[in-house]
Amino acid sequence: MDATVFLQQLVNGLSIGLVYALVAIGFTLIFGVLNVVNFAHGEVFTVGAFGGLLVITMLAPPLWVVLLLVLLIGGFSGFALERLAFRPFRRFADEASLKSKAMREATLLSSLAVSIIVRELLELKFSGEMQTIPQSFLLQSPIALGPVLITDGNLVIFGSSALMLGALQYILFRTRVGMAIRAVSNNVLGAQFVGIDTNRTIIATFVVGSLMGGIAGIMVGLYQGAIFPHMGFEPGIKAFVAMVMGGLSSPGGAVICALIIGVSETFATQFVSDGWKALVSYGFLLLTLWFFPSGIFATRKEKM
Amino acid sequence: MAATLAMPSASAVTSAATSAVTSAATSAATSPFTSATPLLVLDQVTRRFGGLVAVDSVSTSVGEGELVGLIGPNGAGKTTLFNCISGVVPPSSGQVRWRGQPLAGMKPYQIARLGIGRTFQNLRIFPNMTVFDNVSVGAIGREPNRPWSTFAGGRAEAARISAVSEQVLEQVGLAAVAGELAANLSYGKRKMLEIARALAGRPQLLILDEPAAGLNDTETAELAAFIRRLRADGTTVLLVEHDMGLVMSICTRVVVLAFGRKIADDVPEAVKRNPQVIEAYLGTEEDA
Amino acid sequence: MARHLNRWLILALVVVLVGLSMANKSYLNQVAITTMIFIVLTASLNYVTGTAGLLSLGHAAFFGVGAYAAALLSTKAGWSFWFTLPAAGVITAAIGIVVALPTMRLVSIYFAVATLGIGEMLYVTMLNWVGLTRGPMGIRSIPAIELPGAKALGLSSTEVSMLAVALVMLASLWAMHRLSHSFYGNSLRALREDDACADAMGIDIARLKLEAFAVSCFFAGIAGALFAHTTGYISPESFRFGESILVLSMAVIGGLGSLYGSVIGAVVLSVLPEALRELGSFRMIVVGLVLFLSILFLPRGLLGEVSALDLVRRQLRRAPAAGGRRRW
Repeated sequence: MDATVFLQQLVNGLSIGLVYALVAIGFTLIFGVLNVVNFAHGEVFTVGAFGGLLVITMLAPPLWVVLLLVLLIGGFSGFALERLAFRPFRRFADEASLKSKAMREATLLSSLAVSIIVRELLELKFSGEMQTIPQSFLLQSPIALGPVLITDGNLVIFGSSALMLGALQYILFRTRVGMAIRAVSNNVLGAQFVGIDTNRTIIATFVVGSLMGGIAGIMVGLYQGAIFPHMGFEPGIKAFVAMVMGGLSSPGGAVICALIIGVSETFATQFVSDGWKALVSYGFLLLTLWFFPSGIFATRKEKM
Repeated sequence: MAATLAMPSASAVTSAATSAVTSAATSAATSPFTSATPLLVLDQVTRRFGGLVAVDSVSTSVGEGELVGLIGPNGAGKTTLFNCISGVVPPSSGQVRWRGQPLAGMKPYQIARLGIGRTFQNLRIFPNMTVFDNVSVGAIGREPNRPWSTFAGGRAEAARISAVSEQVLEQVGLAAVAGELAANLSYGKRKMLEIARALAGRPQLLILDEPAAGLNDTETAELAAFIRRLRADGTTVLLVEHDMGLVMSICTRVVVLAFGRKIADDVPEAVKRNPQVIEAYLGTEEDA
Repeated sequence: MARHLNRWLILALVVVLVGLSMANKSYLNQVAITTMIFIVLTASLNYVTGTAGLLSLGHAAFFGVGAYAAALLSTKAGWSFWFTLPAAGVITAAIGIVVALPTMRLVSIYFAVATLGIGEMLYVTMLNWVGLTRGPMGIRSIPAIELPGAKALGLSSTEVSMLAVALVMLASLWAMHRLSHSFYGNSLRALREDDACADAMGIDIARLKLEAFAVSCFFAGIAGALFAHTTGYISPESFRFGESILVLSMAVIGGLGSLYGSVIGAVVLSVLPEALRELGSFRMIVVGLVLFLSILFLPRGLLGEVSALDLVRRQLRRAPAAGGRRRW
């Protein structure tokens, strides 16, 4: 593989990896705060994409407005998701039941149910076919960077991802909300003792995580040109895998692993046909779990 | 004077244990307090968690027929030491030996099958199973428990498990609620269930993890009587406990931990007067 | 006595299903057959997830392994159904063990994720290993089930299928019942309730997990073989993650940990979409809603390990001294 192809694939791999990373962060944050797997997270990705499409077809505003509106749509769907599928199961306020096994099972399945419903509703409205993004909005104009050909889509993805990750870093470490999120992830009871409103924090986590997922969705739509109701499934699974690989409690770890997944997937297409490339990510997952049963960047928790 | 008497005998115990242990790997040295063989020997067991030394070179032994109490203020390292014994957490250095055999690298279920039974401080009964089924799990742990025996050849095994479970339920007084879901039991009954489940494994050494927690004086007295009966029936008991009263009233020997180190290892009367022990517990214990 | 109650329930179920077939509506026949196959599949998932507590998110893939094993053995090697059936079970169990071995030391959520990955990998393999599985084109012309002497009795091919499927279903349910309602079953439940504690009680949890997984995959393979021989054509599309979730829903609605619950859950989620056929595309939405509502209001499903049926059972039991135990 010569240098040009290598660089090309690297760029593509990083792009898709960043998309997975944005989805993975939301997943990880929600898991950290509630200890549940949000099965409907892939759907906020899809909703972001379709929401963006609606905005484009109805208002046809400049790109940055589209992105902004999708941020709002994503955030709102996160809020709605939390109210619908997670809140009704937090009947008691103590930690034991907040992170209890029974509640986790229940919300796993309720978020699953919501994801089925959302997906089916989208299919009803838009049919299972691919919806194409209007030509003028597509981010597929090539830009030559030396021998490497990238599209403005890549630039938008890199740019907005960097922005979002930076903003997240700021939120988590420089704002009260972020501190609350970190506190609740660490120790729910302790957080309550110092007066943190866990419910509000959980809502905030969902909103932040989902708006990132939504943006990822519309960016993929603009980059690849077509969207469809089931598009959230694969990124959702891969985000899940990235989260587990990275060690459940580490958003940074999830990002790195998401990038690894994206890059390795892209490089794999050099050697195997498209159909097999999914095997690469899952193979990675299993390999990682084999060597790091608690994820790569897991904080060592001693069993007491 | 009692205080100075306590010190040498404590160190005599440790040095006796250490020298007994360093002499031969499968030493049959006797326990310092009875003429019975030591069942469990802790040889300079140390456990570190990062920079924190939870257990610092603790050496002691539990001889057959003894009723040893392991006490210490919160954070003294009792639970960690306990976990080192039961195989949940391996010692950073030092050795735990059962009848001379090192337990290093053994999984918890293997250690249990050697004859060491245990209860959990935070009552880990199986909530969605009946009382009888809970107890049976203790007995099942000692049987081969292969899937095909449910179709053929498992009658003898099933009969054994049934018999032991029923007998143990009688022993702890839970026979009347055998069909109840464990989740529906009161706190006191759950405690007895926890003990019953451990007893169903017919342990030679039963390690009780803070069994008096949450019990009032009457219940504690009943528990004390129960443990004495256990010992009379031939079970060696290691009692990890915070409640001084219980330990002092029934134990033949008391080992005291503070900040991960053993500060006393003697008969209860001597430990009561040990100045280091008094200091460690100052202001935090009722009159022993 | 209450145990017999449940046996009558299943018998009644089968009678109803078989009776429906006699009503000569071939469409109902197919529904009945599909329902019975899903009963076996759901029971196998309930065994590993509800009883042993190991959340398996890739179960449809093992269903597929069994189906492909049966399809290939019958179309390429000419085996009859009665040989492909056990072979499919054994092969699926073997593959299940092989892929599960590396995951045994993972705890709960990691294990679930690993099963998800395994399921997807198996699906991708089915889709892309065209040399073996013919990929998306699937395998067609899988021979139907044959019963010697059926022609003499004047039974149609569909009736033979129904009978055979019912027989296999009953045998499978019986086997899983024996395994879970025994002291061995108690050890599985201990695994579910608190595996670290079961470990401390002397139970070899690593081996037990493997056994539970193997048994579950065996019956998933059996269900797959039934599926292959009764539909005549299989393709990877039937064995995706969505199907895994459907089976999981059946187990959950029926009640995790309850074999009879699996039966009911499978019936509900097999019959309901058919009954709602008129609703057309709203079908899956209703299914999703049913799932959601049942989680909300019936957290233990219909017959989960604590249930109305259990209470009745306890009342019908004799005095606790004698009856507080099961007779094995």
